[in-house]
Amino acid sequence: MPAALTPEIVPGLVAGGASTKIAEDIAPKFKHGDKVRARNINPTTHTRLPRYVRGKVGTVVHDHGVFVFNDSNAHGKGTHPQHVYNVRFTAQELWGPDAPSRDTLHIDMFESYIEPA
Amino acid sequence: MADTGHGADAALRIKALESLLVEKQLIDPKALDAVVELYEHKIGPRNGAKVVARAWVDPDYRKRLLADGTAAIAELGFSGVQGEDMIVVENTPEVHNMVVCTLCSCYPWPTLGLPPVWYKAAPYRARSVIDPRGVLAEFGVEVPETVEVRVWDSNAELRYLVLPMRPAGTEGMTEEQLAALVTRDSMIGTGVPMAA
Repeated sequence: MPAALTPEIVPGLVAGGASTKIAEDIAPKFKHGDKVRARNINPTTHTRLPRYVRGKVGTVVHDHGVFVFNDSNAHGKGTHPQHVYNVRFTAQELWGPDAPSRDTLHIDMFESYIEPA
Repeated sequence: MADTGHGADAALRIKALESLLVEKQLIDPKALDAVVELYEHKIGPRNGAKVVARAWVDPDYRKRLLADGTAAIAELGFSGVQGEDMIVVENTPEVHNMVVCTLCSCYPWPTLGLPPVWYKAAPYRARSVIDPRGVLAEFGVEVPETVEVRVWDSNAELRYLVLPMRPAGTEGMTEEQLAALVTRDSMIGTGVPMAA
């Protein structure tokens, strides 16, 4: 029996990749300009929601479309497809009034991570 | 902080994993050689440099690159693993962009290759978000207070490439000459292109 991964299929696999973006028609809950708060949740399992944004308020700047939800998919608990948004936080919102007033941080938030603010 | 794996321990672990995968007939060892060959010789920051140089000389390409990074990068033949969904962010006189993955080491492989050790290390990942200007200064990049430092945390499934500003005095240069000025770090945002 040949191995699952053979040299012949490597170039195609590498160049093709495996996007987790999927063409599912799901209505987005948020849009460009919406103020959102990153939820203060503390999963003990896989998550893409870093602690430093939890509880902080930012602005949706882009809707990337629908992606497989890592938090559930990593544990074989379903793909739970949902919109992923790029959200802009000011450095002062994240780190307090001593942070430089112009600086910002952009991060990609699954819809499950955010709520209206 | 978890063991990031280096030295003899990592080498042993890799050997053990490889033996297991081969024994279970999941991989042909020659397939691993093919992967290593790709990332040692074909996939690296010179790919990204070609993208940047093209954007500098071709305004329509620049527009396409900023509107749909994945498709525009694929026009030059670069695509695939860890570059499936690309966003290109442009440095301007008003904004300096810088990329980090605070959760692990997410990085745009088709255009930049595999990430440098410092990019995967906890100090870069932690400090880039709370003190990006301090980190930039250590890389020799001074960003004036009047310029916004914009940090991109590639925490989810999007991968980011910085389009640096074209250096002054390069008006007469060819696309190939321009690509030679584009450094890996300038496409992460922790550097700027070489001077002409």
